[in-house]
Amino acid sequence: MIKLNLTYRTLLTGTALLAGAWACVAANRPAPPDTPAPAVLTAMQDELSRSMEATSAADPPAYFISYTVSDRQLAEVSGSNGALLSSTADRARWLEVQSRVGGYQLDDTHKLGDRPPSWTSPGTNVPLDDDIAILRREIWRETDRQYRAAAQALIKVKTSEQVQVQTAEGGAPDFSHEPPHTSVGPHVEISVDRKPWEERVRRYTAEFSKSPSVLNSIATFTALATNQYQVNTEGTKLAFGQIHYRLELFVQSKAPDGMDIERYANFDWLDPKDTPDEKTIFDSIHQLVKETEALDKAPLANPYAGPALLTGRAAAVFFHEVFGHRAEGFRQKDISEGQTFTSKVGERILPDFISIKDDPTEASFGGQMLLGSYPFDDEGVPSVSVPLVDHGVLKTFLMGRSPLVDVPHSNGHGRRQLGFVPIARQGNLIVSSTQTVPFSEMRQKLIALVKQQGMPYGLLIDDISGGFTFTGRGQPQAFQVTPLVVYRVFADGRPDQLVRGVDIVGTPLVSLTKIVAASDKQEIFNGYCGAESGSVPVSAVAPAILISEMEFAKKETSTDRPPVLPPPAHDSEAKVVQQQ
Amino acid sequence: MRKLATLALLTAFAMPLTVARAAGNRAAMLPAAQAPVPAGETDQTLHAMHDEMDRSRTRLALAGVGKPFYFEYRLLDLDVRSVTASFGALVSSSTSRTRFMSVDVRVGDYHLDSSNFISEDGFQGFLGSTGEVGIDRDYNSLRQDLWLATDQAYKAAVTQMALKQSFLRSLTKPPEIDDFSQAQPLVKVDPRIDPDWTSRNWEEEAREASAVLKNFPQLYGNRVSYYLVYATSYRMTSEGTTIRSSRHLAAVEAAMDTQAEDGMSLHNYYSVYTPLPAGLPDAAAVAKALASASTDLMALRSSPLVPDYTGPVLFDAPAAASTLAQVLEPSLSGARPPLSMTRDFDAFLERFGGRSEWSGRVGTRVLPASVTLVDDPTLQESQGQPLLGSYDVDDEGVNAQKVTLVENGILKELLMSRRPGPDSIYSNGHARSALLADPHPLSSNLILQATDALKPDDMRKKFLDSCRSDGHEWCLEIKRMDNPALSAVRQEDFSEFVGELGGGISNGDRVPLLVYRVYVADGHEELARGGILEGLTLRSLRNILAIGSDPTVLTYMQNSQDGLAGTALGAFGSAQDGIPSTVAAPSLLLDDVEIRGFHGEPSRLPLDSAPPMK
Repeated sequence: MIKLNLTYRTLLTGTALLAGAWACVAANRPAPPDTPAPAVLTAMQDELSRSMEATSAADPPAYFISYTVSDRQLAEVSGSNGALLSSTADRARWLEVQSRVGGYQLDDTHKLGDRPPSWTSPGTNVPLDDDIAILRREIWRETDRQYRAAAQALIKVKTSEQVQVQTAEGGAPDFSHEPPHTSVGPHVEISVDRKPWEERVRRYTAEFSKSPSVLNSIATFTALATNQYQVNTEGTKLAFGQIHYRLELFVQSKAPDGMDIERYANFDWLDPKDTPDEKTIFDSIHQLVKETEALDKAPLANPYAGPALLTGRAAAVFFHEVFGHRAEGFRQKDISEGQTFTSKVGERILPDFISIKDDPTEASFGGQMLLGSYPFDDEGVPSVSVPLVDHGVLKTFLMGRSPLVDVPHSNGHGRRQLGFVPIARQGNLIVSSTQTVPFSEMRQKLIALVKQQGMPYGLLIDDISGGFTFTGRGQPQAFQVTPLVVYRVFADGRPDQLVRGVDIVGTPLVSLTKIVAASDKQEIFNGYCGAESGSVPVSAVAPAILISEMEFAKKETSTDRPPVLPPPAHDSEAKVVQQQ
Repeated sequence: MRKLATLALLTAFAMPLTVARAAGNRAAMLPAAQAPVPAGETDQTLHAMHDEMDRSRTRLALAGVGKPFYFEYRLLDLDVRSVTASFGALVSSSTSRTRFMSVDVRVGDYHLDSSNFISEDGFQGFLGSTGEVGIDRDYNSLRQDLWLATDQAYKAAVTQMALKQSFLRSLTKPPEIDDFSQAQPLVKVDPRIDPDWTSRNWEEEAREASAVLKNFPQLYGNRVSYYLVYATSYRMTSEGTTIRSSRHLAAVEAAMDTQAEDGMSLHNYYSVYTPLPAGLPDAAAVAKALASASTDLMALRSSPLVPDYTGPVLFDAPAAASTLAQVLEPSLSGARPPLSMTRDFDAFLERFGGRSEWSGRVGTRVLPASVTLVDDPTLQESQGQPLLGSYDVDDEGVNAQKVTLVENGILKELLMSRRPGPDSIYSNGHARSALLADPHPLSSNLILQATDALKPDDMRKKFLDSCRSDGHEWCLEIKRMDNPALSAVRQEDFSEFVGELGGGISNGDRVPLLVYRVYVADGHEELARGGILEGLTLRSLRNILAIGSDPTVLTYMQNSQDGLAGTALGAFGSAQDGIPSTVAAPSLLLDDVEIRGFHGEPSRLPLDSAPPMK
C-alpha cells in the first residue's frame, strides 16, 4: 500500500530502532579509478572472509553471508500550526547482516506453511568514525548473532513435516544464484542550512491556520543523504550514494458529522536548485485549503456501482495497489498467498492497449523525480527495467533473490526498510497505453457510459490515498483504496459535485479488465509503500483511465464529533485578545 | 501538533473499591478559581495556557453531558544532548529540542470522576490529548494545540465516565473512597533555565573515555553514553495552580559485555549522575572508572560459578541500596493498584511486583525495631553529595514533603499522590512522572537508618561469626547489584531480561553482579559469577542481622516506562527517560538468604575469535 510518510516520533529512543526508511534516487556515476576504498567497505571485506571461513566450517554451515551498512545523514525541519515543531540534523550508520545456512535450494529462510518467518536480528548501529578495527568488531558480533538465528531456523525447517509438502510453486529454490557486482561510486553528502527552512515551515503552516476548517497542519522538510555499502561472499562489493529532498504538507479537518478529512501534498527533488519556489508551495497550500473546506461541506456519497474516471495520479495508486502488489514474485510461491496471477503468465489480464513496466533505473519522468529509483537493490543486484504486462499480456513478476521455478533469477527488486529482510517490491511502476485520448474526451466518454447505463451520474476520482490490499489466501481477494477527492459528474450537464466518504471496493481481476480508455498524459505519484519488508519509497506513473464498472462502498468513519468550540483564532466570542 | 506513538498507558492508575474511607486530618478545600497569569509575566506559554483554559472552563460543554470539573494542562520542554561512543569511536551524537503537551479533563466530581479506570473501549479521538507541539513558545500555535487536546480530553472523559459508571453498577459494593483528593492550589513561576552544554567537547570526551576499553580485547561490545538534559515543565489547573519549573541532569552511562569461557553471558555497567553538565567527571576520570568496571568484568570471566547457597549474606552499602530500591519501591505507594475492566493490566502489574505489601498496614511493625525509613525530596544533599531525587513541587503541583515511612520499625505513613488510598486521602507531595506520564507515588531520596548501626569492622566480624555458627566454611558477600537497564549493550538485551527474568521479580528474584565467597578461616575473598537471589522480598528485611554505619548514596533512575514505574523493575531506568532518585543505605547483613547458582544452558561461544583490536 502507499501511505503517507509522516514519521511519528517516539519518546523512547530504544523503540526507535526501525524508525525511518529512506532511500532515494541514484547518483549513479562511475567512481574515479584511483578512489581509495571507503573504510566501511574495507572493514566489511576484511571481516567477511574471516566470518565465512568460520561459519562455513560450522554445523550447519553458512553458505552465504552479506553485510550492508547504511550511512544516513538526515536533516529534518517540521512546523505545525505556525510554529516550529522540531529541527534536527543527525547521522547514523546501521549494519545489517545476512547469514544463510543450508544451501541455495533449501535454507533457513524457507517459508513453512503460514508460519511467520523466523526471527532475524534487525541489525545494529555502528560507529560513525572510520575505525576499521571497531567496525570489524561490530560486524563480528552481528554475524555471530545472525548465524545463530539462522542455524536455529534451519533446524525448524528441516524438522518440519511441511517441507515434504510441495508448495504451489513446485519446489522453487530458496535463494537464487546471481553474478557478483562490483561498483564503488562517490560518497554523497548534503549540506543543509536549516534556518531558512525553519522560517518556511512556520510560514506554510501559519497560512493553513488562516482557515477555520484546518484543525491541525504539519509541514516537514527532509534532506537525506544515504551512502550504502554492501559486500557478500559471492564477490559483490558495492558503494553507492543517493540524495533526496522532500517537503510534505499535511492538514486535518473534521466534517460536521465527525468524518476525518485529511489532505496531503508532497514535493520531491534531487538537487537543491530544484527546490520548489514559494509560489508553487503556496499554490499547493491554497489548493489543499480549498479542498479541505469543500470536503467539510460536501455531501456523503451513496454506495455506487458504475462507470468511473480516475485521473492519472489516482490511476497510478490504483495500479500500484491492484496490480503491482500481486506482481511481486515471492507471493507466487507462498501457499498462504492468494496468487491471483501465479498461473497467468502469457495470458491476457488487461486490455491490449495497456502495458506496464517497473523501471527503477529511471531517475525522472517528464522532468519530475521518480522516488522509486535506485542503482542496486538491497540484495546487491543491479536494478532492471522489468516489462510486466505487454499489450495486456502478463509477462513476468518482480523478483528479489527468492526465485520461482519459471523465474529463476532476481530482476533487481529485492527491497527493504532498514532492519527488515528484503523481498520483491515495486520501484517505479509505469503504466502506458497505446490508445490514448485527451482527458476532456474521456469526460465525454464517462458521460456517454453513464447515459448508456441509465444512471444519473458517474464518479471522477481525482486523488487516492493509501489503501490496503489483501493478498493473503485467507482474506477476500479484494482491495480497498481510499479516494480523497471524488466528484459526481452528472449526465444532465449540471456542474460536478464534490462528495466524500467512499471507498473503492471490488476484485482486482474484474476491475482491470473493465478499463475502456486511457488518456494521453501520464501523471506521477511519489510515496512510501508499506509491506512485509517495511516502508520503501516508490513511484507509480499512469494515464487517466476510464473503467466501465467500478464498485464503491461507504467509508468506515470516525464517530467523534468536531470540536465543540471554534478554533481560538477564529472565535468571535473569545474574551481574550491574542498576544503578539 | 504531532501525535505521539507512545505515552499509551498513561491513563493508568485506578482507585480502591472496597475500602473504608480513611480519616483525613486536613480540612476539605473548595476548588479555587483559575489563577491569573502573574502580573508582568511575558511568557506567552503561560498566557496561551491561561486563556485557552479560561475559554474551555467557561464554555466547553456537550449537550446532555456534564461539564468538566477539572482541567489540567502540562507542558514539558526538553533540551537533550546525547552522545554515544564505543571503543574510542563515535556511534551517535544528537541535540534535540522538543515540547510535549498533555491535557487532562475530568468530569464528575472529586468523589467519583472519569479517572482511575482502565477499559479497552476508550475514546478513539483523531488526535488525542497528548502530543508533540511547537517549540517557538509562541501564543497562537499553543492555543490551537491546547484547544484540540482539551476537546479530545473532554470527549475521552465523557466516554470513560460512562464506561466506568456502567462497570461500577455491576459491582455489589460500590467504592467509598474518593477518586481525587483536594490540594492547596499553588502559584510558583520560577525563572526558565536555558541549556548550557558548557564549552566541553562531549564527542571528544566520549571518544577519549571509551578508548580505554580497547585495552580489554576480551570485551565483545560496549556503549558509553553521555546524556545532558534540561527540562522546563509547566502545569496549570482549573483549581488555581500555575507552575513553571526547570530541572537539569547530566549523566554518563556505560555498558560492556563478554562471555565466560563456558559460554555464560557476562556484563558490567558504569553510571554517574550530576545536576549539571559541568559537574560530570572529565574523560580521564570516566576512563578510569570504565577500566575499573572492565577489570571486574574480566575477573568475572575467569571466576568460578556461584554455588547454590542458603545462609547469611553481607550486602555492601551500594548493593544494599540497590536491593532496597527494588524490594521497597513497590510497597511505598499508598495508592491502591489500578481497577481495570481487563485482566491484562492486573496481570502485568502482578508479574512485575507492582503490589504494595504495606498498603493497609499503617501502625504495624514492618522492619526491625531499630530502623527508620524516610523519604525526603526537600533534602538537597547528603555527605556533601547533591541528591538528585530532590524537588520543590511534585508532578501534581503539591509541595514536596519529607515523609517518615517507618519509625522504629513501625509503618507510619505511605507515599501519596492525589489519588486517595486505604491509609490516607491526601497527597504528601510524592506524585512523580517522567515525560508527562501519569504521576505515581514514588520515592525521591530514600534514607534508611538504624539506631544500632555497627562499624565496618564489627559488621564484618558479625558476618563471619554468624557464618561460623551456621557451620559454613565460607559465606557470600555482595558488593554490587546488577542494573540490567544500564548493563545491556543493546536495547534488545534489556527486553530479553524483562521477558525472561522479569517474571521472577514478583517472587523476589534479584540479580547480583559482584558476589564474593568470604572464607571464615582467614577472611579472604574469592569472586564468583552467575547467582540469583531468590525470594528476597519485604519479609526478608525482617531478618536483618545487622546494619552498618557506613551509609552510601546510590543515585539511580526510576524506570518510568509504561507500567514499570512503581514496581521492582522500576529501579532499572536510564537517564534518557528515568526519574532521578537516590537511596541512602548502609551495608546490611541478612540471614537465611537463598542464592541459586547458574543452572541454565550457557550460550554458545562465538564461532570465531574476535577480530584484532589494532
